Amino acid sequence: MTTQFRYIGKHRRTKEDPRFVTGRGRYAADIALPGTKHVALVASPHPSARIVSISTDAALAAPGVLTVLTGDEFCARTDPLYVGVDAPKVTRYALARGVVRYAGEWVAAVVADTRALAEDAAELVEVEYESLPFVIDPEAALAPGTHLIHPDHGTNVLYRRKFVWGPVEEAFAKADHQLAFRATWGRSSTVPIETFGVTARWDPVAELLDVWASIQMPKYPDQTARALRLPGNAVRVHFDVDVGGSYGVKRGIKHTVLVGYLAKKLGVPVRLIEDRLENMRGGDMHGPDRFFDMQVAFDRDGTIRGMKMRAVDDVGAYAGRSPLQLGKPVGAICGPYQIHAIEYEPTSVMTNKTPQEAVRGFGQSPTNFAIERAMDRVARQLGMDRIELRRKNLIRRDQFPYLIPSGSSYDSGDYHTVLDKALEASGYPALVRMRDEARLAGRLAGIGVATCLEPSGGNASFELLFNPKNETTTWMDSCLVRVDLSGSITGVMGTSSSGQGHETLVSTVVGEILERDPATIRVIHADSLNALPSNSPVGSRMAIMLGGAAAGAARKIRDALVAIAAHNFECSPEDLEYRDGNVGIKGAPSKMLSWDQLVEIAHRKFHKMPPGLDPGLQAQFVWEVPTGGGVPTQDGRVQMYPCYAFEAHVVYVEIDPDTGKPSIRKYVCGHDCGVMISPDIVHGMTYGGIAHGIGASLYEKFAYTEDGQLASGTFMDYLIPSSMEVPDIHIVDHCTPSPLTTFGQKGSGEAGYLGAPAAIANAINDALDPLGASIDTLPMSHLALWETITKATKM
Amino acid sequence: MKAAPFEYVRAGSIGEACEVLQREGDAVKVVAGGQSLIPMMAMRLVRPGWLLDINEIAALKFVAMDKDAVRIGACTRQSTVERDQELAARVPLLRQALAWVGHIQTRNRGTIGGSIVHADPCAELPLVARVLGARMVLRSTAAARTVEADAFFSGPMMTATDANECLEEVQWPAWGERRTGSAFTEISNRHGDFAMVSAAAQLSLGDDGRCVRAAFGLGGMGQTPLAFPQLAQRLVGTRLEDEIVKSVAHDAAAQSDPGSDLFATAAYRRHLAGVLAARVISAAHAQAGSKG
Ligand SMILES: Cc1cc2nc3c(=O)[nH]c(=O)nc-3n(C[C@H](O)[C@H](O)[C@H](O)COP(=O)(O)OP(=O)(O)OC[C@H]3O[C@@H](n4cnc5c(N)ncnc54)[C@H](O)[C@@H]3O)c2cc1C
Repeated sequence: MTTQFRYIGKHRRTKEDPRFVTGRGRYAADIALPGTKHVALVASPHPSARIVSISTDAALAAPGVLTVLTGDEFCARTDPLYVGVDAPKVTRYALARGVVRYAGEWVAAVVADTRALAEDAAELVEVEYESLPFVIDPEAALAPGTHLIHPDHGTNVLYRRKFVWGPVEEAFAKADHQLAFRATWGRSSTVPIETFGVTARWDPVAELLDVWASIQMPKYPDQTARALRLPGNAVRVHFDVDVGGSYGVKRGIKHTVLVGYLAKKLGVPVRLIEDRLENMRGGDMHGPDRFFDMQVAFDRDGTIRGMKMRAVDDVGAYAGRSPLQLGKPVGAICGPYQIHAIEYEPTSVMTNKTPQEAVRGFGQSPTNFAIERAMDRVARQLGMDRIELRRKNLIRRDQFPYLIPSGSSYDSGDYHTVLDKALEASGYPALVRMRDEARLAGRLAGIGVATCLEPSGGNASFELLFNPKNETTTWMDSCLVRVDLSGSITGVMGTSSSGQGHETLVSTVVGEILERDPATIRVIHADSLNALPSNSPVGSRMAIMLGGAAAGAARKIRDALVAIAAHNFECSPEDLEYRDGNVGIKGAPSKMLSWDQLVEIAHRKFHKMPPGLDPGLQAQFVWEVPTGGGVPTQDGRVQMYPCYAFEAHVVYVEIDPDTGKPSIRKYVCGHDCGVMISPDIVHGMTYGGIAHGIGASLYEKFAYTEDGQLASGTFMDYLIPSSMEVPDIHIVDHCTPSPLTTFGQKGSGEAGYLGAPAAIANAINDALDPLGASIDTLPMSHLALWETITKATKM
Repeated sequence: MKAAPFEYVRAGSIGEACEVLQREGDAVKVVAGGQSLIPMMAMRLVRPGWLLDINEIAALKFVAMDKDAVRIGACTRQSTVERDQELAARVPLLRQALAWVGHIQTRNRGTIGGSIVHADPCAELPLVARVLGARMVLRSTAAARTVEADAFFSGPMMTATDANECLEEVQWPAWGERRTGSAFTEISNRHGDFAMVSAAAQLSLGDDGRCVRAAFGLGGMGQTPLAFPQLAQRLVGTRLEDEIVKSVAHDAAAQSDPGSDLFATAAYRRHLAGVLAARVISAAHAQAGSKG
């Protein structure tokens, strides 16, 4: 499929691996500026309390302590952090002032010569609290008269709207059948090995704040500067810091404003590296915590006529961009299916829990899980095969571009073929026999199928959709490509990378266009003051956006080389042929200017340059998201992300009926993300995404006790699957190019994760089916499975 | 996550270690593999005034085969024990249990003595110690004394070890019966996690296939790991038919009083205990039977 490419789609060594594999990565904790001081935090033990007094005397007197900062000073001298929806009274700072709203919220910051001394002193900060009522359950938080997390805001609801797209009531009235159920997604996240870390240094002469951080965040330099009341050009973020895992959560804005303030105040470099406890409780990085009240209307033959989805998401005590995680799924609200009438009622609610942050897929994986559970339930109610039901409702390949009721147009796809390929690779008939034999032998065995979309390309249409005051309609990215005097090529990107392999991406794409070996192309990260505009690697967008920008810049270089040759041969560019960087006259092989000669002309020989062409050889390309820039209609229809990758999962599980222990015995994922620029990176993403999905469906949960404490604040209780829990995974590739992108690529940064929880939940439910039992709450812990089995067998 | 300040001392001999313990008493924590102690110190859940490092004491690292028991030095690494073929033949339950203790990496550091003195009620080695009736040798400057497993484990993370004592060795009884089988199993959320419930059994068969000796126990079911000698006695003389095995397992579960936590309710634990006890007894039976 990709044979027309020279480098794209080939198995080549990635640029980053040698650095990481030999331990030469440079992470936030490796930034060691002379004289750096260290921060430790005092955290609230209460989920909700008034701060009566804070005494810092003993802490200040402790060895090595420079300062103890509390919310009163900090909040007076900085501005609150950005809120993604129209809720200006939901103010949020790095340090609490007056009240605390969740257990683990930071109350004071101690700066000392070492982190250990800072922790010693932090224990000496005396905070007197007066407990206040609190609310942990999102439904209780919605009830009238309940404790308000932010009384000034007047309600615990951050955002609520009922969207109706298409003739929903009519569809429900006319359909042969209906069903309703609740699906619940547990509070999990991406929990990287590296916690968030940041170092800041203030230069009082240049009036410049230098920042090195473990960051993956759009508009981070701008938000840092605003909160610190500095001009944008007084903050310089160094994007060349390696990030040890993120998938959305490395936002660290509150940490950065705090450390920036301290560095400026103290005149020394200051660093904060969260420890695991701070990260899990107070790092503000929990993911969606959501339940769906689902209603589906369908006909006897399996046609889905309409769907109603009420989604309530518990974002914890403050709002950053988290309510918008209910917004992105608008762009794929019907999944890969032809559903013409949809009602969607997202509600974002606050509770006294740790705040939520962006997590891989930005809310899409929970939504996919709810849709896929609905599909299986429909099939079960009709007594229809689940695969047949999907085939019946999947959008056909001849229907693209396909406009869904909520306003997005899906670019391309071949869902039926990918599903068939996955089924074939799973040896489906044999798998069914295996399941049935296991059942005959008294075991609980099930097969799960899920067909899901990964929207990619990341525009930010949901910002304007969810907040009319936020007129963000561009989410551009860019690349600078330069060829130096020696003829070497360097690509410059304007953001950090958190494991996506952008150096491989840019070098491959630039090498493809310029026909130069990517291994010789260097790719660097600018800092925020000399970077071209970028919106960071979120929304599964960089293959499309950075890849497209790098290709655009490389094309300009190529055009310049051809123009130089045309000028010197006194011919038209059409008569010329570009090959391997050399430019020659078509049909006259001896008439050629080599790469080195052309570069030499561009850099030294102005007299041989065509008029109008700048000397030197570099080009930049700024790209708006394809199909982006739209404004929502009155009824909330808007084009979200441009590209839609598809995945079909087939999973076989068994559950020990006596203990409730599940085990995944077979895992196949059919995957179509268009043209793969680096198949190894795509596969790596997919393996990791599936492992992450196994965690979300069976193990991981930030659980809270009844008294409002986080019960899973370490890796003893927050259970990330290990290599022992993740089975062999078989990925089957398929390629339906996107018509909207440079090479036909789509995003794949969330691959696997967007379908795995749905598929596993379906497999578990298939296994429980002979008992007449079902479970729609994630994670499906051993305990929950055993209780489900016990209840069913006792009945 | 930095430990509160402490003094560090590395002992070169058992005598030296005992002197530090005698002098500083309660303020001292012995560190062996550090796999349990160091995380607790990092979270400041434990704040010793002194950390006494016994890792350099060669005399605490040995595996010795006596006639009726295998003696293991307290600071012997779990992985060393796990790989010892002769030991596996004489106290097979120990190797079976070790496979469930954390991960290969933690076993490379973690010691036999550390796990025993840590005395987590869900831990594997304390359970084996109770089932087999291991003996702990505790040393102080004044003397050495031997404590039976029954008396040694007194509560969750509590043992009979006095503040001035160091665990020197653990003696694991080796059964002489030719047709002996053993089994260990547990349920945890992930491989390598502490067990929600664990179960261990060892039994011997006579030439006629009847059970002549039996021991079994449960972990995670109370304040300490539990052994059930009286219930085990009911197995002796039987042919270990399913019915008797199930009944004994059920009674063991019913006799225990487990707690509830995030991952397991008391009801779930009790149910698991019945299932797992029956499984290990049957598996041990099958293994003994195979030595026909
Ligand atoms: C990821 C991970 C998973 C784990 N999973 C398990 C598991 O599944 N099952 C399990 O049982 N454990 C598990 N553990 C805990 C740990 O492996 C064991 O408790 C352990 O090996 C203890 O031995 P140690 O030598 O490391 O002891 P240390 O941590 O050094 O000490 C533990 C305690 O014993 C005391 N102590 C040690 N040696 C002596 C001595 N000679 N005399 C007197 N006191 C002494 C110490 O003072 C301390 O109180 C796990 C640990 C980790 C990090």
